[in-house]
Amino acid sequence: MKNLRLKSARAALDMSQQQLADAVGVSRQTINAIEKGDYNPTIKLCLAICKALNKTLDELFWE
Amino acid sequence: MEHSLGYIFGLLVGILVGVGIVALLFKLKVMDLTFDERQERARGQAYKYGFWTLLTCLLLYGFSDQIFGRWCDVLVGAILCIAAALMVFASVCIVKDAYLSLKEKPRTVMTLLAVVSALNLAIGVMNWKGGRVVQDGVLTYAAVNGICGVITLTILVVYVVNYLLAKREAGE
Repeated sequence: MKNLRLKSARAALDMSQQQLADAVGVSRQTINAIEKGDYNPTIKLCLAICKALNKTLDELFWE
Repeated sequence: MEHSLGYIFGLLVGILVGVGIVALLFKLKVMDLTFDERQERARGQAYKYGFWTLLTCLLLYGFSDQIFGRWCDVLVGAILCIAAALMVFASVCIVKDAYLSLKEKPRTVMTLLAVVSALNLAIGVMNWKGGRVVQDGVLTYAAVNGICGVITLTILVVYVVNYLLAKREAGE
């Protein structure tokens, strides 16, 4: 299932996938895979993404 | 085939120098093979496919040797099996976007693969023209360069195709 909340949170900060990937220390393809719902990230990566986007886990990853 | 002590010593020194250079590049952080969690997982799957390919090829090589008799040097047989496993590993990594580490640049890797392919294929062609590749109906160790050239070229082609497809997908 696509993670549209992550995509919109990133877009709201005017960040590209590459910028977010650099901020959390992963590849751009990994961010793309998470947004497309092709990859289920670990809690460690979820927390790093939340910190980079100033969001909570609930806001980005809870269904 | 008998080789002199000097030949074997030279080969060992060459391998040691190569390993030393690679170790130094890692220590100086020129080479940095750091992958993220998704890539590590994808590479784990790729290792698995590569491992089973290697086992299958070794079995096939053993059977072929039993059935048809000696058709290649043992070294060439081993290299062929490794080549098949490496191609499967690399292809799976490339398709799953896990071939390049976080610090590697696609252009650098493509250039390196192109140079290595060209060099090995050129030596392979020279060996073929010199009649050293097949002797008495047996594929000799002189075929190793050609095989390495084909592996790197195949990986390069898979990489370029995947790169272009991903670029097109990103543009849509």
